[in-house]
Amino acid sequence: MKPLPAKLSGYTETKLIDPFEIFIGPVFETGAKGARRFALVVDERHVNMRAVLHGGMYMTFADLALGQAAWDACDHAAVVTLNMQSQFLRGAKLGEIVEVRPVITRRTRSIIFIRGDFQVDGETVFSCASLWKILGQD
Amino acid sequence: MVNRPAGIPEDAEDASIGGFNKYVGPLYRLSDLEEGAVKRFAFAAAEHHMNGAGTIHGGMLMTFMDVSMSRTSRLISGAKSCSTVSLTCDFVGPGKLGDIIESRVRVTRRTRTIVFLTSEIVCGSRTLMVGSGVWKIAVAE
Repeated sequence: MKPLPAKLSGYTETKLIDPFEIFIGPVFETGAKGARRFALVVDERHVNMRAVLHGGMYMTFADLALGQAAWDACDHAAVVTLNMQSQFLRGAKLGEIVEVRPVITRRTRSIIFIRGDFQVDGETVFSCASLWKILGQD
Repeated sequence: MVNRPAGIPEDAEDASIGGFNKYVGPLYRLSDLEEGAVKRFAFAAAEHHMNGAGTIHGGMLMTFMDVSMSRTSRLISGAKSCSTVSLTCDFVGPGKLGDIIESRVRVTRRTRTIVFLTSEIVCGSRTLMVGSGVWKIAVAE
């Protein structure tokens, strides 16, 4: 594995289970459960023909990071995405680090509302909100 | 003729020539429906597209929707490049390993610089995802 960029010193690799997430990973994290911050280093696999982060990869990273936060919020019960709304503010370039600290907007018995502003060096480049269903809860 | 996965027509065009499209693909363009009003795309769900529950990962379905709407925006505008501005996806049902997944894209409206689109992702008669998106057409300045 490549050495971590200096900006990610103190981060650890997020443990991934889903084959698709392992396929597009790794991603990195820092912080305690319920307050984790996630980072993606944009590499050659993730970009489109214009050499900026592919919209699909933005949304996959978002689904992964917000999913991890949803999982934290319900003590690792099984959760699935119901809906995701994404806004693409600007492209992230090869080598840039995209970071997010997901925020739980509301949690009901069966639904979790989460949003995240994804930033490169403090500038928001992608924003999304997703809804998660806690399986087995009415 | 290049061999296509079972369930993908032999004459399907490979719509994933480089970058992330190719990495997660192959993704194919199928023939249009309704005299061109519906653009169709497809992929065969493989091991690396799955989540831990054994169904197709939401990120892969959203990627597929993004690619199919992007390509449709370029097809109808003639622009070399179009950028996703907004995409909203509803996850209606799960897809399984080996399924042939199809995206059916319609253009709701096109202005000089913006394309509004909707897509339904299906497996046979079953709906997996519905979505609506807004694309910006790159206009030479």
